Amino acid sequence: MSQALPHLSRSRYLAAGIVLLALLLLAIALLSLAVGARAIPLGEVIDTLLNPEATGTNATIMRDLRLPRTLLGLVVGAALGLSGAIMQGVTRNPLADPGLLGIHAGAALFVVLGIALLGLASLTAYVWLGFLGAAMATIIVYAVASLGREGATPVKLALAGAAVTAAFSSVTSGILLTNAVTLDAFRFWQVGSLAGRGNDILFGVTPFLALGIVLALITGRLLDAMALGDDIARGHGQRVMLSRALAAVAWIILSGGATAALGPIAFVGLIVPHAARAITGPSYRWILPYSALLAPILLLGADIVGRVVAPPGELQVGIVTAAIGAPLFVLLVRRRRLAEL
Amino acid sequence: MRKPLLTALLAFGLSTVPALAEWTYIDGGGKTITLPEAPKRIVAHANAAAALIPLGIRPVAIYVDSPVADDMSLKGLDLTGIEIIGEAWGEIDIEKLAAIDPDLIVAEFWPLEKAYSGMEASAAADATLIEGIAPVGGPAQGDSIVTLIADYEALAASLGADLGKPEIAAAKVRFEAARDAFKTGVAAKPDFQALAVWAGTDALYVASPDGSSELSDFKAWGLDIVTPETADDRGYWETLSWENADKYQPDLVMVDDRSATTIDTAKAQPTWTTIKAAAAGAVTNWPAFWMRNYKVYAEQLEHLTGVIAATDEHLSER
Repeated sequence: MSQALPHLSRSRYLAAGIVLLALLLLAIALLSLAVGARAIPLGEVIDTLLNPEATGTNATIMRDLRLPRTLLGLVVGAALGLSGAIMQGVTRNPLADPGLLGIHAGAALFVVLGIALLGLASLTAYVWLGFLGAAMATIIVYAVASLGREGATPVKLALAGAAVTAAFSSVTSGILLTNAVTLDAFRFWQVGSLAGRGNDILFGVTPFLALGIVLALITGRLLDAMALGDDIARGHGQRVMLSRALAAVAWIILSGGATAALGPIAFVGLIVPHAARAITGPSYRWILPYSALLAPILLLGADIVGRVVAPPGELQVGIVTAAIGAPLFVLLVRRRRLAEL
Repeated sequence: MRKPLLTALLAFGLSTVPALAEWTYIDGGGKTITLPEAPKRIVAHANAAAALIPLGIRPVAIYVDSPVADDMSLKGLDLTGIEIIGEAWGEIDIEKLAAIDPDLIVAEFWPLEKAYSGMEASAAADATLIEGIAPVGGPAQGDSIVTLIADYEALAASLGADLGKPEIAAAKVRFEAARDAFKTGVAAKPDFQALAVWAGTDALYVASPDGSSELSDFKAWGLDIVTPETADDRGYWETLSWENADKYQPDLVMVDDRSATTIDTAKAQPTWTTIKAAAAGAVTNWPAFWMRNYKVYAEQLEHLTGVIAATDEHLSER
């Protein structure tokens, strides 16, 4: 009893934290509808929110530009946070993020091939190429890491990821260096942005990401068991290979879909799980939902900052997250020992 | 007395005989190119070819910033027998270039970049390597397509072109008539204002009329073109978030026509129609950066004059 009580109160405290974060996320989402490169008076914002039939330029901007952008930020943010957390859990590598395991490199290669060989030029086309490339890269990484007796261990996954990233990136660089036109089109995608992504991309990736989010949230228990190490997890009766495969499917869908939708976004998938862990402690049953809420707060917050710092234009969210993310990451590393995974 | 004079005359004559055949050209970058005789084998950048071919100077090879079919300046020109040695910006096949062994490479000089077309610092093509094969020179980019064409005419004449040919003279006459009609058409609508843009998925880019030779011409001939409030560091474009697409309200929007998809990108943006002119369909092409001869300039001016005549100058009240 004396041991159960603090545990119970900790759970309550963490559950309350989830509610708090959800409210904060709601506030950020509303802010994302209200704030942008164009100043819309608060009264008009509220009118438009309350009256879906509202017309006029400001209503068009809120409904057709900011709403899809905000929803995409919510879904993709959650996906980035969750995929980062799962990767760090499965690979027990504190530096794991969607860039590790070749996902960014695979998506980038396919997008570049699409531009260079097929002459594709629309964001919608890039989505499917990015997705395909991310999935392809992860499958190759996973297959290579699975060779040998122990199967896909964390170290082998990281090594295979680094190797595949190097291989894919060299092909990408080769094409870009010899083809200035492709480079020109590619760099817009490479920055990572929420601007210009409309309903077509939102509706295209949301079903996948929703599936990935559900899948990710149920892997929490499996990740907690795996955090003890493969042998102990086996000893507890867990099927390590199956758990790892399930987690891998979730992270392919999540980071593949996220990268496909916005382009590679730096740091969100890396720092958010660390921030979540700093609040919740080591249990993935809490880290995952916290990551799913913290990441869109960071992503949308960064996007809002990007919208207002360079009037009358905007700064891409990928640049803002990199600018905010780097010092945040240094701060986290200095405050906590990352080896606690 | 007579003998030294004769010797002096002879000596003078002998030294001037080769000098008479020598070909000298001072290009737009201020560079003097001197060759033993007028160059015959010429390699040209696509835009230079678009200027020279109608004047009767056919390059042996050209290099293009894009696939030939996509290059606006080459449209309608007969390229039979002309070798293509580059079809992407900044990419010139050096081996093919060396094999062609040209006498001269004609490319426009960009004063801001201090470089020739396709050989800018960020381009893959190595300017020093190319200059080692043949001298590079050409007219400078400036504030008028008319002076650019005149510079090409002077170059073509020095290369042996006969500018008195009837079709060349006719093109110029047609251009002058088109320009005068343009001036008259614009003068008849004193309140008319145009906006020149390029549309991306990330933002709407408003062109500064001073950053483009043809827009400068249109402005000089009386067309009121929006000058963006805050252009970028080089003075070419103002970047507007699509949320701010309605910042300028012209009577006519001119969309950069170098890529056929730009107008589709614009139309796909929910706030494109917050520009009243766009909503009303008062949209036409902006022949951006590619016109190099009187024939196409006349055609484009005639088209634009027609569009302006058919557009309401009070479409947007300012």
